[in-house]
This record gives sequence, structure tokens and C-alpha cells, in this order.
Amino acid sequence: MSSPHADVQPVDTRRVDAREKVTGAAVYATDLHPDQLAHAVLATATVGRGRITGLDTAAAEAVPGVLLVLTHLDHLDLQSPGFVMGGGYGVQSLQPLLDEHIAYRGQAVALVVAETLIAATQAAKLVRADYEPEPFAVTLDSPGVERLSQPAVIPLPFLADLDVGDAESAYAAAPVQIDAVYDQPAQHQNPMELIGATVWWRGDTVVVHEGTQNASAIRHGLARQLGIDPANVEVVSPYTGGGFGQKNSLQIHIAPLAVAARRLGRPVKLVVSRTQLFHHTSFRPASRHRIRLGADEHGRMLAALHDVEHQTSRFDLFPMMYTETTARLYGIGDFRGRQTFARMDTQSPGFMRAPFEHPGVFAFESAVDELAYAAQRDPLEFRLANDTTADPVTGEPFSSRHLAQCLRRGAKLFGWSARQWQPASMRADDGSLVGWGVAAGAYPASIVPSAAHLVASADGRIRVGVDGHEMGQGIRSAIALLVAENLGLDVRHVEITVGDTRVATQHLTAGSWGTASTLGAVHAALRELRKQLGADVSGPVDLAAAVGATGREHVESRAETLGPGQTEQDAERARQGLVALAGPEFTGYSTFSWIAHFVEVRVEPTTCRIRVPRVVSVADCGRVASPVTAASQVRGGIVWGIGACLREAGEVDPRYGGWLNASLEEYPVPVNADIGTLDVDFIGEPDLRFHPVGVKGLGEVSMVGVAAAVANAVYHATGVRHRRLPIRIEDVLAGTGLPEPRL
Amino acid sequence: MRPFAYTTAGTAVEAVAALAAAGPGARLLAGGTTLYDLMKLEIETPPAVVDVHRVADLAGFDTSGERELVFGAGARMADVAEDGRLRRDYPALTESLWRAASQQLRNMATLGGNLLQRTRCPYFRGGEPFACNKRRPGSGCAAQEGLDRSHALFGGSDDCIAVYPGDWATALVAFDAEVDVLGPGGARSLPLARLHREPGDTPQLEHTLEPGELITRIRVPVTPAGRGSAYLKIRDRESYAFALVSAAVALTVDGDGRVGECRIAVGGVATRPWRVPAAEQALRGQPVSDASARAAGEAAFAGARPGRHNAFKIELGTRTVADAVRVAAGRAVR
Ligand SMILES: Cc1cc2nc3c(=O)[nH]c(=O)nc-3n(C[C@H](O)[C@H](O)[C@H](O)COP(=O)(O)OP(=O)(O)OC[C@H]3O[C@@H](n4cnc5c(N)ncnc54)[C@H](O)[C@@H]3O)c2cc1C
Ligand code: SF4
Repeated sequence: MSSPHADVQPVDTRRVDAREKVTGAAVYATDLHPDQLAHAVLATATVGRGRITGLDTAAAEAVPGVLLVLTHLDHLDLQSPGFVMGGGYGVQSLQPLLDEHIAYRGQAVALVVAETLIAATQAAKLVRADYEPEPFAVTLDSPGVERLSQPAVIPLPFLADLDVGDAESAYAAAPVQIDAVYDQPAQHQNPMELIGATVWWRGDTVVVHEGTQNASAIRHGLARQLGIDPANVEVVSPYTGGGFGQKNSLQIHIAPLAVAARRLGRPVKLVVSRTQLFHHTSFRPASRHRIRLGADEHGRMLAALHDVEHQTSRFDLFPMMYTETTARLYGIGDFRGRQTFARMDTQSPGFMRAPFEHPGVFAFESAVDELAYAAQRDPLEFRLANDTTADPVTGEPFSSRHLAQCLRRGAKLFGWSARQWQPASMRADDGSLVGWGVAAGAYPASIVPSAAHLVASADGRIRVGVDGHEMGQGIRSAIALLVAENLGLDVRHVEITVGDTRVATQHLTAGSWGTASTLGAVHAALRELRKQLGADVSGPVDLAAAVGATGREHVESRAETLGPGQTEQDAERARQGLVALAGPEFTGYSTFSWIAHFVEVRVEPTTCRIRVPRVVSVADCGRVASPVTAASQVRGGIVWGIGACLREAGEVDPRYGGWLNASLEEYPVPVNADIGTLDVDFIGEPDLRFHPVGVKGLGEVSMVGVAAAVANAVYHATGVRHRRLPIRIEDVLAGTGLPEPRL
Repeated sequence: MRPFAYTTAGTAVEAVAALAAAGPGARLLAGGTTLYDLMKLEIETPPAVVDVHRVADLAGFDTSGERELVFGAGARMADVAEDGRLRRDYPALTESLWRAASQQLRNMATLGGNLLQRTRCPYFRGGEPFACNKRRPGSGCAAQEGLDRSHALFGGSDDCIAVYPGDWATALVAFDAEVDVLGPGGARSLPLARLHREPGDTPQLEHTLEPGELITRIRVPVTPAGRGSAYLKIRDRESYAFALVSAAVALTVDGDGRVGECRIAVGGVATRPWRVPAAEQALRGQPVSDASARAAGEAAFAGARPGRHNAFKIELGTRTVADAVRVAAGRAVR
């Protein structure tokens, strides 16, 4: 490879913090051991709903080393933080420990603080509560679930019913129709880093170390809860050990920890146990999707109706946006979307990777597959034939849509042309049924206000302080690469601070908008820096020389950026720690990321075990900001999609409420042995209409459509369609009635 | 976890003495992968623990004997799973070990502790508020009208239908293993088949060891059927999961292609290690064929008593036994 700058090393694209992570040098929030640290453990409610009628903490308080037992009787004097999706900051609006009401099993009834974790753990088990139980509902089918149409209770434009054309008439007139219901269970993120925090006071300032995607919400939400100035809340979150949407707001333990730390005058740490994690914070709500699709005899899709209901808590409406994405997958002229809440007695659900897009697209892309078969078409050809360049909802063009290219390239890499159309027609040498499935995925591109601060030094190094959180997605690497490439530096000379409210606002990093938003600000700050250094607008810069020439030790630049069409109002919202989102509809265009997945499954003919030996995924995420971490994002998304299709479900016993399989042993995420070859490729076309350096989002779209591709492959292997996830061995066993093999 | 007294023993005899000295409710601690786990859940709350994981006379194993294989109760699952001779001559035994738990757990866990692991019934492990006769005698059994997908088809009672989850004991019971124990009253031996109890109306009692007794060794009579053996395990993921259904099959095949010796046990479906003589009888003397393999599977699951969500295990189990027969027959010396 020839380079105009022979002395410039090829850019090192490895994860910049890999070494720290592998060696354990990376310090996570609950790794801290400040002097005088006290340990907290939660005691939780055992009824599905009810009222505490008696509370006995004497035994807990008698455990040697116990310092404090906080319950609702202790008048914590906390305000609700408000729900993050309801104008507030909290993972839910309900703050436990304030009164005697129990809204769901697993709700905290006491926070026990002790000198040691052992004492706190032992004491928490000794907290005794008596309850007056009340009836409760915990599944979509339970009596007592309250159903509310979304637009009737949250009349906001982006949550409205979706009506494009006249879908009902077009569907009724369509010669080929599919009408099916798809069920998906609640699911729980299980990041390796549990939910937890270390909290202390420094004078009037409360210092919170917590792995989070939203330091700003912690700052403002905690200030609201405690009735103090946000300036007196400092949040530090250099690393988050997996967020996946669960860590996108203020958790309900932070304010009680702050109270405990203040009363004790000591730092207090809490790590929520794995079992409590299932009950203490958000999860992916169960959802049910009825999809009606109509096509003509030539395989052209004419109409789609997508009716969804999803679970939410009694006290918060977790808004849903399933149809926003399913309406954009194909050029369907007539589309109708209806979204309904099913309120029940759980903690509030929330965002979990591809929160709406994974379940919505599972349902939709399963139905599309059914329709393709009903129309006697190859499912890949069928999808390509229904492609579009314009956004069917707005009529405006997509700023970029390379979905067809993803499908074509994926098909080639996968060897799709060797597929036999007929279900249950392909066999492996060992007698396994072979199924090949395809599905598309999409995810709305969003962008938020962001800020970056660069400090270039005379020693040739550069410090970057930005709005953004590192949850393992690789934002540090993407920033380092952008800066290194832009200035022609060694990536090791780029030093990055993220997730620190002392450095920048720290808007929520989620929804795959982090990289685009942050890189936009860094890009703008780089332009400003070049100006200050008197450097050309592009090309490598000898940083040491350029800074030296100014006669100063450091040269700084700052940039604050907004998404397309955003105004100072959005910037102000962001400063208040609120979500300030633009997209996916912008003036004159819409922006989505796209992906195509190709999956091979093998179904063992005797036991009906499903294996997934290989997956090929090709993504259009605009410019690939960091190739190594991008590919690992996609691999992670595929693995999660396989788990979502074949393994994961939060089990609920309606007699008890809460979650039954609340451990890593019982909640079956896939293991290495479940995963075969994962081939990942990118289109890599920058989307410069949407973004100054061409970046769209990637983390979430990676997972969208995987479950459908797996289920479509299972159909192709067996001839039986499964519409309820997860598809378990007993479903396949019952469905196929497969003949046993010959010896 | 509750506070407890901790002592270590250097020999098996010392361990017995330490147990006696520690008084009622004291527990032996080997790898701790079951015991500490249940202590953290406060399902086990022993006042005292006697650590035997360094006891030299419990460690080690010998697979070279002419009459029997001998396994120290303190031998680690991982070490035994990797034994070359055992892999070749008793694949069902090694498969039952390396298909269990995870490598990290197998590095810690011992063969003796493994035998006495406790059920994974989620209502048992979940603690409050679930009714569970095993955990709290007389409180009821939440599983019977609940999520019983992982529960037993065989050996249950009105009081408890919890599955005995171990893979190793399921394989051992097929091989007529014996267990040597040492206690305050001296040494004795018993068939492994008599080590575990069915729940009956006392599901809290799971085994037949006397208080203060220690398992010292597990012995397996040498048999040519070892070569022709297989342990198949069907589970919700390909590692780090307990069996939905498993089958241990060991057989010999005569010169005329008929099954000679035949041993079959099933796991994941019964309240104790479950040998199925009816299946053995169905197969013995039969030519190895799909039909005879299937017939053995059907015989194994005749009389199953399914609950609400586990009836699928009858067909799954039937097929798993049949598969295991095919694999075992393929390995058998002819
Ligand atoms: C997440 C997880 C997954 C697992 N998956 C599987 C699986 O798939 N298949 C499977 O078979 N097992 C599985 N296991 C269980 C595991 O194999 C057992 O926990 C382990 O074998 C127990 O051995 P240990 O040495 O750690 O026993 P310990 O935990 O030390 O002891 C267990 C019990 O045995 C008693 N004990 C120990 N040694 C003796 C002795 N010499 N004499 C008398 N009593 C004794 C103890 O008092 C205690 O009651 C799993 C465990 C975990 C935690
Ligand atoms: S099956 Fe046994 S262990 Fe499970 S809840 Fe019932 S009594 Fe308890």
C-alpha cells in the first residue's frame, strides 16, 4: 500500500482499552475501595403486590457490624426522579423505600448497611416484613391486565398510530394474505458488570461512581430526588461493563445510597445481586404482535398491518416504537400501526438492545417469510423485489439505504444460490435437517447534542474530553481512530475521557446514537483545533511542532454540536440531563441503518435439537468508525439474536409474580458451544447527508432481524413455522413429527 | 450466608471425628460448588463445616484394576474426565463428567460431592416466598401446579417431584457402582442405587448416609460393556446446563449382531438416579436396529407420570435412549 506520508504508520485499529480490560487495570465503579467504605445489601418483598403491615429489623440490626437499616419508616425524604421516558430521569418513577406499598415482587423493602459485605448480606436476610397481599397480574394473559391505546394516553407525535394510505382496504383486496400472531417473552439483560454504585459525600457534593450510559440523568435525577443543586452531584463512569439499555437512567438504589452515605458520613457501596438484578431494574417487556400482510400474485407487497401490545408497569408507561421501523423495511404503500400498553404488576420495563426493533422485526420478518412462501417465491428475491429508495412513511428519500446491497452481498458470502426452496428438503451428511433463513433489519438513526474538548500538547499528544459513555461498544476506539486518522497521529498519543460529568454534560449514550453524536463533536473540535494551529483543513499535522510554534504548552479547542435541525432548545434539554433526540426523520430525508442476516440451522432429526453452525451478516451503518469494535458489535448482536430466538425468556409463575429463573444458571443466554461461525461484513458507504463524517448507528441494528432469520431457517429446515419465542426443543419436537433416522 | 464454624481434616478418619465433634447439622465441604452455593442462598445453614478437600486418602483414582475401577470421593471431576483409559474403555463415565457444569466448576468439584448435589428445582433454590416441602417440610410443593418443565416423570410423590440433577450418578447407576463409606460405626459399602432416596413424604431426606458418615470411594465393576457405552445429554444449551433428558447406555454386541450385556439409565427425569431394567430387558438378545433401539426407549419411558409442562420429555427421552443405544452399539466391541 503506498502512502503519501511514508513516515506515518498505518493506523492501529485495535480496541484502545483492550489491555486495561484484559489485565483488570480498568477500574469499574464498584471496584473502588475508598477508606471507611461501608457495604449495602437490599432486602426485597416476597409478595406479588400488597402493603407492608409490619416490619421487623431488630434481628438485622443485631448482626455485628450492621451500621444502618433503612426502610420506609426512616423517612428518607426523597422525591420521585420521574420516569426517564416520562420527562424524568429514573429507570422508573416509583422510588422504593418511601411507603408501605409493594407494587411488585422483588421490590426493595430495606437497605442494610454494614462494615462488611458478609454482615450486610446476613442482616438483609433477617429483615422480616408482614404483608397484606393484593391481587396482581404478571403476564399478558393474566386477568387484571389493563390495556391502553398508546396515542390515547401519550398524545405525542412520534408515538401516534401510523396510518399510511388505507392499509385495511389494500389488505382486504390483496390476493395473497398472511395473518399471524407472534409472541415474545420478557427478557433480561445480564451484563457481566452488575448494577451497582459507590457513593460518598465530599462536603455538600455527592459523588457517584456507577457504570452507566447516562451520567447526566444520574446527576439531575439525584439532585431532584435529594432536593439539591445538580452542581452538587458529581458522576464518574469511566467504564460500563455492558449497558444494553439497562444502565440508561438513574437506578433506584442511588438515592437511598446517598442518604445512607450522608447519615453515616462514609462511602457506601452496593452491588445488586444477580437474582435481584432481574427484579430491581428494567427488562425487555413481553410483547405480542399481530401482523397482516397482503401481496399481489407477482410478489409485490401491498399492505401491512402491525398491531402490537407490550407489557408495562402500573406506574409508568414505557412508550413503544415498534412500527416506526417495521414500516420502513419495504416499499409497502399502505401501512397501519397500532400500539397498546398492557399494564401489570412488575417493575417498569425499559430499553434492551434493539428494544422495539428486535421483537417488531422478528414478527414482521417472520410474516414476510410466510408471505414469500405463500406467494411461492424465494424469500431473498421476494425481499429484493420489495425494496424502496424512499421512506414510505414520509415520502422523502432515505439519506442512505444499502439494504439490497447487504442482501446481495450476504447471499453471495453465504452461498444462498445453492438453497432448495422447498422446506424440509435439505439434509446434511449426518441426517440433520438443514435450513437456510434470511431476514433484514433496520434501526432508526438518531443524533443528540454533543460536546468535545481537545487539548493538544507540545509533546505531540492530544487529550479528548467528550460527551459519551464507554459500555464496551468501543466509543474510545472510534474517537481515537477519528483523531489519529484526522491528524496523522499514533492512536496511542490520543487520551480520552468519557462518562465524566466534570468534563462534559454526558448525555445518555444509547439508541446507537453515541458514536455519531460524539464523533460529530470531535470532528467539529478538530476543525477548530486546526484553525488555532494554523494547519490546513486536512492532511497530517505535526502536532508537537504546530503547538510549539504557538509558543504555548497547550492549544485547546471546543465544539458543541447539534443534530440536523436541532436548536438551542435541544442543547438546553441536554444540559438538564434530558433526552434530546433528533431523527430518524429529518427535513428532506430519513435515516436508518440496515442489515441483512443469513442463517444456517441444523435440526437433529431424533431429538430435534437446533444448532446454528453459521451466520453471515452484512451491515450498512454508514462509515465504519472502528472496524475491530464494529465487527465485535455485530457478532455480539448475532449471538444475542440467536439467544433471543432459541434460548432466553424470563419465566413467570403467575401465582407469585416476579421472575422465577433469576440467575445466570437458569436464564439461558447462549454459551460458546452454541455459536458457530459468524461472518460479518460492512457496506462502509459514509452517509454524509446525515452526518459530517458519515457515521450512522451500529450497535442495535446488529441484532435486528437475527431472530427472524433463525426462525425462518427453522421453518426451512422442518416445514413448521414457530411464532412464539423462544423456540425450544419441545416446540420443534411437537411440530415436526419427524421420522427417526435409519442406522 | 450465616456464620459457621470451619475446620479442616487431614485424613478420612479425622474428618469423621471432626464431624462427630461438630455436632448435629455439620456438613462436609469438598469443592463447595453445591454447598457454598446453597449456604449463600440460606437453603443450607450448617452451624459447622468440615473441609475435606485436601484429604489425601480421598483423592486420586485408579482405572487400571482388573476387577474394578476405583475413584476417590475427593477426585476432581475434571481430572477424571480427562483420564485416557476411562475415555476409551468407559466413554459413558467420562461423558457424564465433561458434559456436566463448566470447566471451572469441574476443576473444583469432587466425585463424592457430585453424588450428593441437590436438586435445581427453581422453587427450592428460590427460597421465599415459594412453597417447598424439601426446603421447608410441610409448606407444600409449588412445582406441582407451577412451572414443572424441569421436573420428574418418575419417582415423584404428592410432596415433591424434584429431579435429581446429577449426570455422574446416572451413568454410575447403569454400571452397578458401589459406594464405600466411613462413619462413627466404621466402614461399610452400599450399592449406589441405594444411596439416594425417593422423596415420598420426606423430601428433605435425600440420601441414606447416617449422620457423620463420609463417602470415601466409588467402585465400578469392570465390564466389557464399558467400551460400548455412551452418555447422551439433551439440554437447553450445549454447555453449562443440566439435562432435560439424559441417557446412559452400555452394551456388548454378540457375534451375530445381538445385544448381550445391556445397561440403561436415564437422567433429568427422575427423583433419583434411574436405572431402567425394562428397557434393558427389551433390548437384551435383540439385534441392534432402529426398531430395537426405539423399543428400548419406549420401555424406558413406559409408566412416566408427566405434569403440566414436561410431557414432551417422554418422546424426547425415548429418542434420546434410542440415540444412545445407536451410539453405544457403534462403539461396542463385536
Ligand atoms: C452452575 C452449576 C452448574 C452445574 N451443572 C451440572 C451439570 O450439568 N451436571 C451435574 O451433574 N452437575 C452439575 N453441577 C453440580 C456440580 O457437579 C456439583 O456442585 C459438584 O459436583 C459438587 O461437588 P463439590 O465437591 O463441589 O461438592 P460440595 O459442594 O463440597 O458438597 C456437596 C454435598 O456433598 C457433601 N459431600 C461432599 N463430599 C462428601 C463426601 N466425601 N462424603 C459425603 N458427603 C460429601 C457435602 O456435605 C454437600 O452436602 C453444577 C453446579 C453448578 C453450580
Ligand atoms: S418439587 Fe420438591 S423441591 Fe421443588 S418445590 Fe416441590 S417440594 Fe420443593
